[in-house]
Amino acid sequence: MGSVMRATSFLCQHLFCVVSSRPCIQRATVGGVVAWIFFAVVGGTAIAHGPLFSPAPETIWAGGAEITLGYHRAEAGAGREQNGFLEAKYGLTSRWEIGVELPYVSRRVDGIGAGGLGDLTFAAKYQFWRQDLPGAQYKTTGFVNVKVPTADNGQNLRLGSGSTDVIAGLAAGYESRRWYWFASSAYRFNSEGDGGLKQGDRQFLSAVGGIRPILNEYNEPDTVLMLELNWERADRDSLNSLPLADTGGWTLFASPVIWWTYRQAAVRAGVQIPLTDDLNGAQSSADYRAKVELVYHF
Amino acid sequence: MKRLKIISVVIAFFLTISNAAWAEETYRLRVDGLACPFCAYGVEKKLKNTEGVIGVDIQINDGIVLVTVEDGARFDEAQARRIMEEAGFTLRSFERIEA
Repeated sequence: MGSVMRATSFLCQHLFCVVSSRPCIQRATVGGVVAWIFFAVVGGTAIAHGPLFSPAPETIWAGGAEITLGYHRAEAGAGREQNGFLEAKYGLTSRWEIGVELPYVSRRVDGIGAGGLGDLTFAAKYQFWRQDLPGAQYKTTGFVNVKVPTADNGQNLRLGSGSTDVIAGLAAGYESRRWYWFASSAYRFNSEGDGGLKQGDRQFLSAVGGIRPILNEYNEPDTVLMLELNWERADRDSLNSLPLADTGGWTLFASPVIWWTYRQAAVRAGVQIPLTDDLNGAQSSADYRAKVELVYHF
Repeated sequence: MKRLKIISVVIAFFLTISNAAWAEETYRLRVDGLACPFCAYGVEKKLKNTEGVIGVDIQINDGIVLVTVEDGARFDEAQARRIMEEAGFTLRSFERIEA
C-alpha cells in the first residue's frame, strides 16, 4: 500500500506540469479522471454504418476513400476533454483497409487546461469472412491500430499517453435492410511512456443492435437507430513498475446512436451513458461521452 | 415534290444514324449483400468508372442494379462479378434486358 501511495504522489508530478496549491491526494483523484478520459477517446473506432463507440466490421470498397471530421466530448467529475479529429481511410481491396487519424485535443481538469495536437493513430483492418445474402450481409473483421506519441505533453496537462500503444481486436456483424447487430472485442496493449508512466492495458467488449425504421430507396435520405452496450476495463496504471492506486476498473455504458445518410455523405451522433462501474480507489465516474461525426466517401 | 423527297430521305438518314449512335443496352444485375444505401455507393462509383457505362440505377429494396451501357461497349458477367466483388458485394445473376 505504501508503494502505491508513493507512486500516486509521484504521478502528480507526471500528469501535471504545474505546481498546484491543492492537496496532492486531490490532484491524484483528478489524475484518475484524466486516465478515464484518455480511455474514452481511444476506445472507439467507427466506420460506415457500423457502431459509433466500438469497432465495426465494415471495410470500404477497393480504391474507395473516406474522410471523417469528428468531435468527441467526455466529462468525468472535474475533468473534461474535447477532441476534434480528422480521419482518412482507403480501401486497398474490398477486404483490406488502412487509415490514419489526427486528433486535436483540448483538456481541462480542475481549472487547469491545455490544448494541441494529440497522438496520431494508424489503422489496418482485414475482413476475413463475408457472406452475402439477398438484402443482407454477414461479416467478420480483424483490426490493428497503432497509436504513436506525437502529442505535446509539455503543457500543463498531457495531451497524449506518451507511449506507443497497440489496439487489436475482432468485430463481427449482420446488416440487413431492416435489422443490424454487431459484436466486438478488443485489447489495448499500452507500453511505458516517458517518465516511466505506463497506463494499464485495456479490454473492450460490445454488443450492438440497430433498426432502419423506414426502408427508403437508394437515392433517398436514410436513417438508422442503434443501441450499443459497451463494457470497458482498464488495468491499473503504473509508474516505474509501481501500481497507482486511483487508476483502473471497469464501466458499462449504454449508447444510443443515430445515423443519417444521403448517398455518400453521413452524419452520425451518439452519447454514452454510464450504467454502472467499479473503479479502483478515488476516481470520478464518467458523466457521459458524446460524439458527432461527418463522413464523406468517394 | 422532288425537293420534298430529298429532304425526307435526308431526315430519315439522320434519324437512323442518330438512333444508332444513341442505342443503349441495359443489364439487370441481382446483387447479394445490398443492405444500406450509404455502403452501396461503392457500387455506383465502381460502375460509373467503367468504360462504356452511361447509367446506373440501384433499386436497393429489390437488390437489383440496372446498368446501361453504350451500344457496342463491352460489359459481360465476368466484369460485373469482379466489379461487385471489388465493391464488397456478390453478383447473384446477370441478364441483358431486351429493348
